[in-house]
Amino acid sequence: MPYFSIILSFILFGFGAFGVADLYAGESVVVYSGRAERLIKPVLDHFEKTTGTTVQLLTAGSTELVNRLRAEGARTPADVFITNEAGALELARTLHLLQPITLPEVNTTIPEPFRAPDNSWIGLSGRMWVTVYNTKMVDPSTIHSLLDLAAPSWKGKLAIPTANSEYLQAGASMVLAAKGKRAADEFLQGIRDNAENEVYGKNRQIVDAVAKGKVSVGIVNHYYIFRHLAKDPQAPIAPLITDQGEGDMGSIMNVAGIGLTAHAKHLSAANQLITFLMSPTGQRMFAEINKEYPVNPAVSADPAVPPASSFRASTIPLTRLAELRDPIIQEIQRLGLR
Amino acid sequence: MVRHTQLTPLSLVGLSIAALLTFPLVYVTYSAFTGDLSQAGQLWNTRLPELLTNTISLALGVSIVTLTLGVSTAWIITRYQFWGRAFWDWGFVLPLAIPSFVLAYVYTYLLDTAGPVEQTWQWLTNSEAHIPSPFSFTGALVVMSLNTFPYVYLLARAAFQNFNLSFEEAAQATGATRWETFWRVSLPLIRPALVASMFLVVLYVVSDFGAVSLLRFQTFTYAIYQQITGRFDYQSAALLSLLLVSFALVFLFAERWFRKQSRFYQTSGRVRTARPKSCSMIKGFAITLSFLALFVAAFALPVVMLIQWTLTAWMNGEVGTSFLTYIGNSMFLSATAATAAIILGTPLAYLASRFPSKLHVACLQGAYIGYVLPGPVAALALLMLFTDMIPILYGTIVVLILAYLIHYLPAGLQAMESALQQVNPNLEEAARNLGAKGIRTFIQITLPLVRKGFSAAWLLMFLLCMKELPATLLLRPIGFDTLAVRIWLEASEELYQLAAPPALLIVILTIPAVFLLSKKNWQAG
Repeated sequence: MPYFSIILSFILFGFGAFGVADLYAGESVVVYSGRAERLIKPVLDHFEKTTGTTVQLLTAGSTELVNRLRAEGARTPADVFITNEAGALELARTLHLLQPITLPEVNTTIPEPFRAPDNSWIGLSGRMWVTVYNTKMVDPSTIHSLLDLAAPSWKGKLAIPTANSEYLQAGASMVLAAKGKRAADEFLQGIRDNAENEVYGKNRQIVDAVAKGKVSVGIVNHYYIFRHLAKDPQAPIAPLITDQGEGDMGSIMNVAGIGLTAHAKHLSAANQLITFLMSPTGQRMFAEINKEYPVNPAVSADPAVPPASSFRASTIPLTRLAELRDPIIQEIQRLGLR
Repeated sequence: MVRHTQLTPLSLVGLSIAALLTFPLVYVTYSAFTGDLSQAGQLWNTRLPELLTNTISLALGVSIVTLTLGVSTAWIITRYQFWGRAFWDWGFVLPLAIPSFVLAYVYTYLLDTAGPVEQTWQWLTNSEAHIPSPFSFTGALVVMSLNTFPYVYLLARAAFQNFNLSFEEAAQATGATRWETFWRVSLPLIRPALVASMFLVVLYVVSDFGAVSLLRFQTFTYAIYQQITGRFDYQSAALLSLLLVSFALVFLFAERWFRKQSRFYQTSGRVRTARPKSCSMIKGFAITLSFLALFVAAFALPVVMLIQWTLTAWMNGEVGTSFLTYIGNSMFLSATAATAAIILGTPLAYLASRFPSKLHVACLQGAYIGYVLPGPVAALALLMLFTDMIPILYGTIVVLILAYLIHYLPAGLQAMESALQQVNPNLEEAARNLGAKGIRTFIQITLPLVRKGFSAAWLLMFLLCMKELPATLLLRPIGFDTLAVRIWLEASEELYQLAAPPALLIVILTIPAVFLLSKKNWQAG
């Protein structure tokens, strides 16, 4: 027995060492990513294959990674920081965790609203925070605004993301910026009461719950609806783009993006990756695989999703998401969202 | 022995190990109370009532269910002779090889709205009826109970096996029925084992992260994790952690106190243990049927699902060589942590059993603090500590291994302590009298005598580390995903097929450890 465990542990040591060793081979770029792996991995794999540069990926929550970058300071191994929304990137920038991307293509490829004032982060793909409804259970003409979902008539029929969801935080921040604190509070309280236990960690699960008729409406990023429909075209779900009337706030638009860390150790590899992600090849992958809106105007959105020209997006600058982040988290916490 | 009061170099070693293990908690306490406390009030008003009710009711519910399952299976297996008994004897330990979050994800798949179970039910009853949602108290109760009843089973079985039959015979001779004898004699006699197993189960439940978060059941540990990952302040997380830890500490002291109160001994002289009686066909059939149902629910069904998903993933070409790296990472981390735990635990256990001065016992008790530190809390403690004080080590496996050590050393320490206590100190004394130095005595005399207990401790800690999730998620270095992390990343996206291969690997890799553990005669107290 003792020999058994001693020998075993030696074998395992060796085994593990092999795992550690292959980390330090060749030219590489270290990516911290707050996006679901299956939405970003195919793109990174393609980059690896075409350039021969190794990508080391650490997947976690966007906010969690900002905390990690802050904790690591100058010793961070991360070269780039990919997130699922702009707020976390802007927050990282205000905490001096990012540095400007000096690639000349940035200014020509990425429209101004979708990047930081100093180009330390750029948006890569756009997503709308929209209502998803069950076509058998809901008459879409009854919903004009996202704020309608806070009405008591939706009690027990609505699914929402958890209080930690960056989308919820960003969405509520947009409402706060466009309509003021009172409206934002009423909205949060309303969806809290209406959702009761239908609070999900993942957008995917919300779409699923609506498709299965567990609830009749939910609030999600648009592409989860189209990804679901791509797999199951018969699913009784549809997106609803709200707040389009005269004087309304417009639909809530956000971007997934990438930032260059202030202490990046592999600058050229990092720039190579950023260039690839902005390029038509990279952008097309976001559009085709993920059903997101490419930020590069040269690439059009997937035909399945409504064209970007067909709706009006909110004009609140994405950079405001960062300054509103703390107040909105306070509110969300105070109101006791789960 | 005069040495009791002396501060030997060895006690300094013990003291520093204890300090290493307790310092993170001290640091969390310190940080929780420095700075703005207005957050605490808000937390108190909004989240706390729900978290308290949920955590306590889950712990209570799981205790009741596991006690019923664990004691009844142990009783039947030690007292009756029936077909397949030899298999069930170790078969009921197998569920320990399945991490709680794997069981949770299998059940969420099976029981979800429009899932296979609901569809079958609707087909059978020809209706649109919904089955109860697994995302609820009941879901968490079922999953956690199925996952932890083997602890009760193991300890109760050992207690029944070492049970002196004379007590029962005396009761029956004075006219008690068998049922009365069971309730008033047998059950009270194994009380220490029951208390010890409840302790394990309750701590497991309150510190579980993976299962409750997949089942979306808000408990303290889950809330703490969300606080760490989703917000920019660690203080609220620290406050919640302290609250959880103080509850657990109260529980720990209660258990210690209870154990002292109820220390009783079997009579001297010959101990006659029970011999299994044969039972009627019908009884045997009923036993087999109910055992089968429990075994299928807790082990066979999840494993079959995992195999099926793995095969599908395999055929879709989704199982690559990267799995070798995950296996390597998992085993490397677990083996290193278990080995380090043995090395660090030995001085503590040795000092407390050979030179039980106040200081040495305090060092040992200090190490047990980790028991009540759930993974996210230990991770938070190390996160705060290392980023503030030793940032150079942050994001390396050192921090991760330390987190494993803090959380799981106590589990092994118990086995190490009792192994050392069983060695007659006269043997060591004799070696020393013959001129051997302390270390040489330990290596040549003591170590060979305790190797069984130490191996068991190593295996137990290895097993626990393999299944660890929250601390690994929070502290893993870049590119260092373990099997548990892979399962988590895929399962939380509900990609069952992709989560299955690493899950199946964990089960396969831990079954030998579980099997060896089931062979050991676990005695409480």
